[in-house]
Amino acid sequence: MKILWESMPYLLRGMWITIKLAVVSEVCILILGLLLSLVRISRVRVFRFLAAVYIDVIRGIPLILQIVIIYFGLGHLGLNLDRFTAGVLALTVCYAAYEAEIFRSGIESIDKGQMEAARSLGMGYMKSMRYIILPQAVRRVIPPLSNEFIALLKDTALVSVIALAEVFQRGRELMGTLASVTPLVGVAICYLMLTIPLMRLVQYIEKRMARGD
Amino acid sequence: MKTEEAMIRTVNLVKKFGHHEVLRGINFEVQPSEVVVIVGPSGSGKSTLLRCINGLEHATGGHVYVEGIDITDHDTDINLVRQKLGMVFQNFNLFPHLTALGNVTLAPVKVKDMKQKDADRRGIELLDKVGLKEKADSYPAHLSGGQQQRVAIARAFAMDPDVMLFDEVTSALDPELVKEVLDTMKDLVREGMTMIVVTHEMGFAKEMGDRMVFMDEGEIVEEGKPVDVFTNPRSPRTREFFSKILSHN
Ligand SMILES: Nc1ncnc2c1ncn2[C@@H]1O[C@H](COP(=O)(O)OP(=O)(O)OP(=O)(O)O)[C@@H](O)[C@H]1O
Ligand SMILES: [Mg+2]
Repeated sequence: MKILWESMPYLLRGMWITIKLAVVSEVCILILGLLLSLVRISRVRVFRFLAAVYIDVIRGIPLILQIVIIYFGLGHLGLNLDRFTAGVLALTVCYAAYEAEIFRSGIESIDKGQMEAARSLGMGYMKSMRYIILPQAVRRVIPPLSNEFIALLKDTALVSVIALAEVFQRGRELMGTLASVTPLVGVAICYLMLTIPLMRLVQYIEKRMARGD
Repeated sequence: MKTEEAMIRTVNLVKKFGHHEVLRGINFEVQPSEVVVIVGPSGSGKSTLLRCINGLEHATGGHVYVEGIDITDHDTDINLVRQKLGMVFQNFNLFPHLTALGNVTLAPVKVKDMKQKDADRRGIELLDKVGLKEKADSYPAHLSGGQQQRVAIARAFAMDPDVMLFDEVTSALDPELVKEVLDTMKDLVREGMTMIVVTHEMGFAKEMGDRMVFMDEGEIVEEGKPVDVFTNPRSPRTREFFSKILSHN
């Protein structure tokens, strides 16, 4: 108990890094994921193909491997990113592929008549997407995207592989110096403090949406 | 050649889906202020014809001219042409995330760069015209089918189209809601709107139509004054179609 109590301040500072990592990544992921989904459904065959290849390749490789490749690989190429940036980049590259598929399924779930109605009013493809399709699609994918965010929050632990001092990395350090697994319990508590409220929030949103707003 | 350019003209319009030839060389014209009613059995290509006219389907062959502009020409800005063509769909296709007023004002604001304030004022006028002023702030989910369809008509009309295309706009409605939508369309006819109307409503066709076109298997089989086509069809295919409709009603 004492060990747990004493490791908490150190762990909480790590948790702050974890949160920053997750939030900054999520913003980048949403932007890249949406763009990727639009390319994935573009009418230009080559674009569609390239986006599909990207998505498949990324989804077919373990995230931890991507993190290592990006950090050390880019380092080899002379591009020395700090650990945080490398972490954000790796998480973004990976999660954008997953979220692109979520955006795509959201867009494709919108009735074809919506696009036709928009186009028949003289709106171009981009305007129709922006004002008609995406506002509806984004609403529909809020629950799955929230679940992805929770998964992302937990996956930030993998960035410890490049020794970024987020909460899991700190827990492992303490475990070594104090020769006790107790700090890892503290790490678990740190994650739960965020993930449990988030999971409840997602459930609440899903319920409200099921009732039809 | 006519002195007045036809509003809509198709020349040998062919549309194929794969090997299925849905339109087989349609030659069709609509003059300004004319109300043309298109009838025909299911699958005869009526919707496809309308959709080729506003470019929702690409013609496989032939030409479609809208006020003299060939929309099958790749250099034609289809978005510009579509502003002249208002389309109303069988299942309304209102934008569910926008209010009735939002549905009506979106295109004028985003396409014609109208100021939101002006668009709102005009939108309210149009909703008033279709009898739905008090529903301006309602979302489509809270409107009846007939009300939704009237909003859809107002939405199409808000772009000041020169021609309006109606594709079985009362088919998805409960019988008691059909009249309010037909009345709204009649108002448009009286204002001199040019219209192409695909419908099974023979009453509307006879009362409002200047011309009736009967389509079957991707061809125009017969056309003429609605009463003539209806009461005195020349082609056996037309006769068969109307006798089926009559026995059905
Ligand atoms: N996108 C499409 N792909 C393949 N075939 C299609 C497509 N759209 C229409 N068709 C086919 O083209 C034919 C004509 O369809 P269309 O919808 O124009 O008929 P319609 O006269 O409007 O019939 P209805 O009265 O049932 O609305 C039908 O056989 C239909 O199956
Ligand atoms: Mg049809």
